[in-house]
Amino acid sequence: MEKVFALKNVKFHYKDSKRISRIFEDISFDIFSDEITALIGENGSGKTTVTKLMMGIIKPLQGNIYVFGRNIKEMSLGQIGKKVGYLFQNPERQLFATSVYEELSFVMEIKGYDKKYIDKEVSQTLKLLNLYHLKNDVPFFLSGGEKQRLALASILVNKPKYLVLDEPTTSLDIERKEILSNIIDKLRKEKIGTLIVSHDNQFIERHADRIIQLSKGEIVNDTRT
Amino acid sequence: MIQELDARTKIIIVLVLSTWAIFFRNIQILLLVLLVSICISIFLKCDLKGVMYKTKKLFKIMIIIALVQSIFTKEGQAIFIINGFPILTYEGLVKTVEFILRVAIIVVSASIVVTSNYREIVQGLVQWKVPYEIAFMVSVAIRFMPIFSQELKDVVTAIQLRGIEIKKIPLGKKIKVYSYLFMPIVSSVIIKTKELSMAMEMKAFGAYPQRTSYMVIQMKKIDYIVISISVLCLLSSIFLYLI
Ligand SMILES: Nc1ncnc2c1ncn2[C@@H]1O[C@H](COP(=O)(O)OP(=O)(O)OP(=O)(O)O)[C@@H](O)[C@H]1O
Ligand SMILES: [Mg+2]
Repeated sequence: MEKVFALKNVKFHYKDSKRISRIFEDISFDIFSDEITALIGENGSGKTTVTKLMMGIIKPLQGNIYVFGRNIKEMSLGQIGKKVGYLFQNPERQLFATSVYEELSFVMEIKGYDKKYIDKEVSQTLKLLNLYHLKNDVPFFLSGGEKQRLALASILVNKPKYLVLDEPTTSLDIERKEILSNIIDKLRKEKIGTLIVSHDNQFIERHADRIIQLSKGEIVNDTRT
Repeated sequence: MIQELDARTKIIIVLVLSTWAIFFRNIQILLLVLLVSICISIFLKCDLKGVMYKTKKLFKIMIIIALVQSIFTKEGQAIFIINGFPILTYEGLVKTVEFILRVAIIVVSASIVVTSNYREIVQGLVQWKVPYEIAFMVSVAIRFMPIFSQELKDVVTAIQLRGIEIKKIPLGKKIKVYSYLFMPIVSSVIIKTKELSMAMEMKAFGAYPQRTSYMVIQMKKIDYIVISISVLCLLSSIFLYLI
């Protein structure tokens, strides 16, 4: 099994001008690429923080984090993003374009891909997530669930090797949750694993091969199902 | 003692500095104004470092915009020529430097007001007979500034996480990437304004014409002195410049 992430003795605190909130004193764990891992824990237990550390968005005070064997200190956010797709807890923060179609196409356009190829990939991904009929809409005016699916589509279109989803089911109805479930299953068959941060027990039960439970910045439980 | 200037005094200082920044078109003078702003900000123990750090990304974008602008300025003596086309002219370069200095002055002087408590700002302005609605909006704008710079940082992060290596792509495409900052920032402004106005209406903001306040802030002697000096400086500098 290939390791996607390795955290070794990571320490992290948030600092602002008024106070320091201690999050992780010393946390270590590995995440493997071809299985589904669920990260659970109460509100404020540090789930989002740990995913941000893994994606290189925030930097550990001590310790090291490796992504596919490379230390993230030596990687740019762009390099990490090419390998791992990250769905924010608040997907509004990761939508930039003026149309749904452009939301998926602009990265490929910047990378200089062929127009025909872009069109094929974008249409396919939009259809996969049941968004094709909205392709000319403005992302800003979409509903919460539509935004969440669009953010997911914009990640999938880049063909990541692994996915990190921070509470992906919060705004989805039963039908759309089923679509997400099918995508996770399908990717898994292609050996693309997922880290799911969630409070949705049913969803976790259905997918997770391994469940890691965080509480107050420590791993209190790590079991395989 | 001087570190505890009234919020209004700080606003006056900022107004004077930014008037200079907009008014003068001379690099030496702008540089001088920048130095003065930095000195004041350090003297008043403002979080200059923090503000600089938070606006680092904004500065990068500004510099790129300014450089592009200078490339398209065609008048003036050419410094750098490719195939007979003047790429960079003396005129263009001067404009760019001016622009960057102006932005720097405004950012540094903004650090002076950000340190004030927003309640004090509103109260101070109201006591000066500024309508409460306007005073409130001013304070909201000041209070949201740090939030917006944080959001701008988040957006740049999110764009990079799409697999874009900003450092490696050519300038033309870089500008396109930066143009994608616009949408999330505008939408966040719209959302915040909407939420705020809704919250205010629910708390019956503006329902009664007369507002009462527990807090009364008093300007001290030092405030009057500093304000007089600032205004005098502004007037005399403009007068000297015009003759
Ligand atoms: N930017 C920040 N600055 C300071 N403290 C923060 C910041 N972000 C999070 N925290 C604090 O860190 C702790 C962990 O937050 P985190 O967002 O990681 O929790 P979480 O497990 O994802 O919670 P939830 O289930 O609500 O999403 C919380 O106590 C929170 O108050
Ligand atoms: Mg969270």
